[in-house]
Amino acid sequence: MPVPAIVVENLEKFFPPALSGWRSLLHPFAPATQCALAGVSFVVDRGEAVALVGHNGAGKTTLMRILATLVLPTRGRAMLDGFDVANEPGHARERLGYHTGGDEGFYGRLSGRENLAFFAAMNNLTGADARARIASAAEWMGLADDLDRQMRTYSTGMRHSLGLARALLHGPSVLLLDEPTRSLDPLAAADFRRLLKDDIVRRRGTTLLFASHTLAEVEKIADRVVLLDHGKMIACDSPLGLRVSTGTPTLEAAIGHILRPGTTAGGSR
Amino acid sequence: MNTMRTLRKIAAFFWRDFLIARGYRLALVAQTVEELFGVATFFYLSRFVDSPQLERALPAGRSYFTFALVGFAFFDYLSVSMTAFDSSLEEARQNRTLEALLVTQTPLPVIIAGSAVYPFVALALRTCVYLGLGAIFFGFAPRGANWFGALAILLASILAFAGLGILSASYQILFKRGNPAKWIVLGVSSLVSGMMYPVSVLPGPLQMLARMIPVTYSLEGMRAALLAGAGWGQLWPSLVALLAFAAVLIPLSFAVFGWALRRTKITGTLTHI
Repeated sequence: MPVPAIVVENLEKFFPPALSGWRSLLHPFAPATQCALAGVSFVVDRGEAVALVGHNGAGKTTLMRILATLVLPTRGRAMLDGFDVANEPGHARERLGYHTGGDEGFYGRLSGRENLAFFAAMNNLTGADARARIASAAEWMGLADDLDRQMRTYSTGMRHSLGLARALLHGPSVLLLDEPTRSLDPLAAADFRRLLKDDIVRRRGTTLLFASHTLAEVEKIADRVVLLDHGKMIACDSPLGLRVSTGTPTLEAAIGHILRPGTTAGGSR
Repeated sequence: MNTMRTLRKIAAFFWRDFLIARGYRLALVAQTVEELFGVATFFYLSRFVDSPQLERALPAGRSYFTFALVGFAFFDYLSVSMTAFDSSLEEARQNRTLEALLVTQTPLPVIIAGSAVYPFVALALRTCVYLGLGAIFFGFAPRGANWFGALAILLASILAFAGLGILSASYQILFKRGNPAKWIVLGVSSLVSGMMYPVSVLPGPLQMLARMIPVTYSLEGMRAALLAGAGWGQLWPSLVALLAFAAVLIPLSFAVFGWALRRTKITGTLTHI
């Protein structure tokens, strides 16, 4: 039986309170009391696309950042391709591609190609192999003609494509995307979704876990939805399953029903 | 295999920083002109400095100009060590590349070390420009210098200073900005290390303090090698002192850095500005 792509077991995360001024000086290492995740558990199979949905502050980004090895969990564990992200972060990162919805995170004075070559080197790709992967990723993302322009001249959509190309350059088996279309115009967002679903998940078989506030996007891309509220997982099902179990006509209504029982609409945007 | 990978990554950092610096050609020209002004200032200042005490502290036939030029040029290694590591971290935070770097297969210590390579190489070139300008325009002539001895002192100094720099970066990781330790180390060092005047002109307690910081040994060794052509026998006390500082500071700084990194991964503030 193959190892699941992502396993999250009783994951808890508490942060210390944000202090400022003299309080931060008096308590530089205040105990962690702010709950961001409270015992979340789920499994994502290989080649599956799963959406994290919930209000702001529900714990989506914290969960993503734990899986991306940027934050350590307080309790519980998270595994990526069988590797514990807290104890074996190096192995987990070999299998991981991570891209946030922002259009920053590149060196503006370098060309798209130079940026990708630098990050390829950071992922142990050099020489002809790196050049071939950069050329193929650029072709795939529609950036081939602009790859030698300075990155600061790129449009937001092009920066997004460059970010996704960077995340996929080393052929990760798991792709984590945090609000991937938040700064894209509707047409660019539609193209991006098509690329994700048709090419990355279906054709390449990459496992996708993404956080989103756009329920139309979730419905288009996700095989399953993990619904978080105040750090707790309150539902985990397919979009259809959520609609059927709540007896509602749309995903938006289903999520509204789960988050606020007694209502049939609203909820997350 | 891993060593080769790490070296390739460090080369990638150097190439990245070179490409970025190449985009600011005018700044490079301006910096060279600024260095010329700096060297000229020392030269004309030295014409007014005439102290019997200073004369006794200088190698025979050497002027205050050569003394100050070497002090000023090599004190920069401490300044760059104290700023290169935490500046690289701060810059990556500011331009939002830190997060993208941290999810690659390159550990943070390599990211920080790699980012510091270009500033050190640029500084080595700047030192050559300093000494070259001094030689061309103001008669600085390091005849009989022990160049290999100077190189050994320089490498030992970089090791010792890097330990301080990594400690400074640990502070930066934890508290983000306003690193007081950095400015205290630089301020105290510029006062007591003998950058502009011999340590012997200082009062007793400050001379004792000078013996507790690595840059004092670095400047003493460098002046002995470059200005007095001192042999290995005369250089070894400075070399041993610098290597002893490195032996304590490097492991200590890595331990503190590792702890600071883990702490910020717990608090979730690693990439916060």
